[in-house]
Amino acid sequence: METMVRRNPSQRLRGDQRLRGDRLLRETVWYGGAWSVALAAVALIGAAAMLVFPVVLGRAVDAALTGGTAWWTIAACALVGILVVTDAATNLASGHQTARATATLRYRLLRHLFTLSPRDAGRYPVGDLVGRLAGQAADAGQIGTAAVLGLVALLPPVGSIVALLLLEPVLGLTMIAGTALLALLMRTFVADASQVTAEYQRVQGDIAGRLVEALTGARTIAAAATAPREVTRVLAPLPELAGHGRRSWDLLAGAAARTAAVAPLLHLSVVAVGGYALTAGWLTPGQLVAAVQYAALGAGLGAVLATLNRLVRCRAGAHRIAMVLDEPGVRHGSAPLPPGGGALRLHGVTVQASDGRPVLHDVDLAVPAGATVAVVGESGSGKSTLAAVAGRLQDPDAGEVLLDGVPLRRLSPSALRRAVGYAFERPVLVGETLHDVIGLGLPDDQATVPVDGRPASPPVLRAARDAAVDGYVERLPEGYRTPLADAPLSGGEAQRLGLARALSAERLLILDDATSSLDTATAHRIGQAVVERSGGRTRLVVTHRAATAASADLVAWLHAGRLRALAPHRRLWSDPAYRAMFLPVEGGR
Amino acid sequence: MTGVRRLTWQVLVDRRAALTRLAGWSVAESLPALLSGYLTARAVDDGFLAGRFGTGLAWLAGLAVAIAVGAWGTGRVYRSLGAVVEPFRDDLTTRLVRSTLVGAGYPGSRSDSTAVARLTHQVEVVRDTFGGLLMVVRGFLFAAGAALLGLLALAPVVAALVAGPLLAGLVVFGTALPAMVRHQRDLVVAGEEFARSAGAALAAHRDVVAARAGERIVGQVGRRVAAQATAERTVSRMAALRSLSLGVGGWSPVAVLLLAAPWLVRQGVTAGAVLGALIYVSTGLRPALHALVHGVGGGGLRYVVTLDRLLGAAQVTPPPARTPQVAPPAVAPQVAPPAVAAPAGQPVGGGPGTGTVGRPAVRLRGLTFRYGNRARAVLDRFDLDLAEGDHLAVVGPSGAGKSTLAALMAGLLQPEQGTVRLTGVPTAGASPTVLARLRVLVPQEAYVFTASLADNLRYLHPEADERTLLAALDVVGGGPLAARLGGLSARITPGGLSAGERQVIAATRAYLSPARLVLLDEATCHLDPATEAQVERAFADRPGALVVVAHRISSALRARRVLVFDGDRPVTGTHDELLTRSATYRELAGYWDRDIPVPERHRPAPATPLP
Repeated sequence: METMVRRNPSQRLRGDQRLRGDRLLRETVWYGGAWSVALAAVALIGAAAMLVFPVVLGRAVDAALTGGTAWWTIAACALVGILVVTDAATNLASGHQTARATATLRYRLLRHLFTLSPRDAGRYPVGDLVGRLAGQAADAGQIGTAAVLGLVALLPPVGSIVALLLLEPVLGLTMIAGTALLALLMRTFVADASQVTAEYQRVQGDIAGRLVEALTGARTIAAAATAPREVTRVLAPLPELAGHGRRSWDLLAGAAARTAAVAPLLHLSVVAVGGYALTAGWLTPGQLVAAVQYAALGAGLGAVLATLNRLVRCRAGAHRIAMVLDEPGVRHGSAPLPPGGGALRLHGVTVQASDGRPVLHDVDLAVPAGATVAVVGESGSGKSTLAAVAGRLQDPDAGEVLLDGVPLRRLSPSALRRAVGYAFERPVLVGETLHDVIGLGLPDDQATVPVDGRPASPPVLRAARDAAVDGYVERLPEGYRTPLADAPLSGGEAQRLGLARALSAERLLILDDATSSLDTATAHRIGQAVVERSGGRTRLVVTHRAATAASADLVAWLHAGRLRALAPHRRLWSDPAYRAMFLPVEGGR
Repeated sequence: MTGVRRLTWQVLVDRRAALTRLAGWSVAESLPALLSGYLTARAVDDGFLAGRFGTGLAWLAGLAVAIAVGAWGTGRVYRSLGAVVEPFRDDLTTRLVRSTLVGAGYPGSRSDSTAVARLTHQVEVVRDTFGGLLMVVRGFLFAAGAALLGLLALAPVVAALVAGPLLAGLVVFGTALPAMVRHQRDLVVAGEEFARSAGAALAAHRDVVAARAGERIVGQVGRRVAAQATAERTVSRMAALRSLSLGVGGWSPVAVLLLAAPWLVRQGVTAGAVLGALIYVSTGLRPALHALVHGVGGGGLRYVVTLDRLLGAAQVTPPPARTPQVAPPAVAPQVAPPAVAAPAGQPVGGGPGTGTVGRPAVRLRGLTFRYGNRARAVLDRFDLDLAEGDHLAVVGPSGAGKSTLAALMAGLLQPEQGTVRLTGVPTAGASPTVLARLRVLVPQEAYVFTASLADNLRYLHPEADERTLLAALDVVGGGPLAARLGGLSARITPGGLSAGERQVIAATRAYLSPARLVLLDEATCHLDPATEAQVERAFADRPGALVVVAHRISSALRARRVLVFDGDRPVTGTHDELLTRSATYRELAGYWDRDIPVPERHRPAPATPLP
């Protein structure tokens, strides 16, 4: 028996994961294509020019003072030109490089996510995945730029300290000591600020919490005309927030004053030492100019440390994306639909939960083409998993599911789409308009709103009618063209739209408690429509209602992951344990 | 964008005093920028080159003092910045909260779930970038001004040589700025669109995979990915333009200075002056321009774009009529809540209404309503009279228009045609405060806020004493809940209560309201049937009229009259009459299980217990 051990995202081997993340980082650098190479080239030229510039400038100054050759001046001007052009080109190249790498990474992650089974994807909250797609992909996409610019940015400060050491060793040593002092002073600020920031955010959260509360009572507030009073209540902590805000500026003031003193004093000390060297005749005035310029360049070491921080973020982003890319996607076969009417067969189907607990155990089930099977059982007995496995929303860990004699794994995606339709208890609707919502599973030409004046494409219209949602849609401002975001939906209306979406399937309809929010009258009407128009479709209906079970051809009774019985409802009804499942709902009938 | 400009200007004008202080400290801060070149020049000319190291050092010591004064000024600048920035944040927060709450909750208004994100995130972005913008613009003006003054003192010709290219760079940057703002806004919008579409697609992952529509959905979201990449590329072209303006304004003065140096030396400009000029340009002007260009081109753009979006979102959409503050009821509550519980064995259902005397509590005439021109009408020339003391249940399949009818009666929604009168007062044109005195609407989502239980109960009747509150709790069935929570003074939070408990509190609050008409819009759906019956009986016994949008058929059985949405045409009658007259009512009454879950008014919650 093949058994897959499912792992929780947090339980993965960390070293393994880091390796994959780093591989993804390397791939991402190449996603930038020619832009990566161009970026490296212009950045290097720029850094070299920046490093050479002070020496040339110094020579040019000396030449001007002593009436020497004009060539140094011309060289310095040329270097200025190079610096300006390479800076602009670096911005251009890094923007294009990052945009391209980020987009490629996002496409890849997005495509992969929709090859995952809902069970695997469902382990990550939606907000988390959006965060990875929008935020962390952008972080990781910067790797090319961050790596190139990070490396190149090291050249001017490091080079300038070397240049200072070469120019006059004492100057270099002064610079090194000052830089260390600066780094130390900047470090102390981070610890101070976090406390005030935390307080500030706490009060801000308080205000946000009050606003959320008031929003949940929006209808009450509107009816009672108490909005002004609510505004006052929500804003009550505002003075406290302003107090914390002022304190954060005060803290910032201290740090800024220190920085404003230390960095220029460092610069000044280099000038003073250089001045001594000038007096002693070790340096020319031009060389002092160069030393002053190098001191300014050397102070840029702090900015280089910031790029290191950026690299760390790129890497963290790449790891979080690699983690999702590592989830194995579902592989489809290429077999077309065989002839048949939707005969469903489950053979020794076993599914385990992520902790190894069996959810379904060795289930055998044969549903003849065109029949209706109700799946009943207590909550947690495996009903929804059975529904998921029956239409390949999830693969069983062992066993096989066959539709008209062909294993579902061998069917092509388009064959599966045409054959199987799913409707859920809590459908999540997707699409710009209600037409798109209903047409989700249809071919492109029928899925979108017709360009001529018709309200909807014929299959969408038919599905809406069968799911008894046509009346609701037609009452909306724009009918089928109403944007989903503008359609006020109750649970029952959402369920009916979800049903309509599934009704285009040709052979197998899987309804996972899909009419639970409808009043019984509407549910009954839909049931009639589904049966009348099913044209021989097989139906697998997960339900809690005795009426639904009674109207099915067969009832599959699940208990603790096993098939306890497969028989018509009236035969099972004599079993008190079977009746007990329905009693809370339809007792006494 | 004009809104941004006007508001920014207003903020600056309002904080004139703080800005003046800021300018004063900025003068102190720019002292080193003013003196660095000059003092260095003197140190070189009079000291180091003249072989007098001590003199040179003394000039530099003067500069060190200037640096210390400047650093002190920097500290004071940041402190005064808070006095400008914090009130601005307060103002924005107030606007945002007001615009979110005023006008929310009316039918058809979109529930604004992004308001909280705006409050915590966007307001902070504006606060930070506004502070940053003020710093760089002010910093540039003072630092560049000081450097130019210093150059003027050193050699006026040099100042002129440097000022030209600097101005040219500023002009280039200023010309490109509107385009930069536009592209930055496009980028922000593209990012939001992408995140929104990816979020919607991923929330529907199971459904998309089940419909094997992955490719189509990836294609749709992929278009947003591409749009964002395009916006990023455009922004990077703007960044290149920014570097060019920096090159013209910050780097070309160096070249100009070098080219002019031999000539300057011939004019008698000293070596120290040349060195000082280079210091002014390379450590004063260029960094200041750099900070300005990057600050304005980065944080400044974010400021404009974020504030613009914030102001767009914070536009107050006025409800039908606005009044500043809800006045306490002018008259003493006509409703003295009965101190004793409703008598048991209340007649259920009953014959045709007999007690229709006096002015009708509700009179609907020719009421027509639809959700848009092309939509089918929810109500079409509908008439209804509801007498004082009447009790009406509204039933019908989900989505038929029950809540719409309740909102129309409450005056929260205005009909396309026809009139609604509550005790003779037309709802059209009545202010929300007047409406609030005439009727109370209890929606399905009960409102409880973090405060004491008493504060929550007094919401619609601020003068009620404790005895009145306790009596009302008792009648409505909230006695045990109040006891469990720890009495009237207990502090309650919505999260600490179940949905049913919140509904009990909301019902008790409505019971205490001075309004005579009560509209329960599925307000008891989370209560067990026994508590629901007690709540409805309490309201039925309360003077005034009662309308219950029913959630269970038992509510209809308790009512004097029933209104059923039968297809497109509402039908009114008693329970028995409707059983013979309305097919839909027969269906509902026959099939309606007591415990079938509620047709909810919102999107599916993550999980609900099985029935």
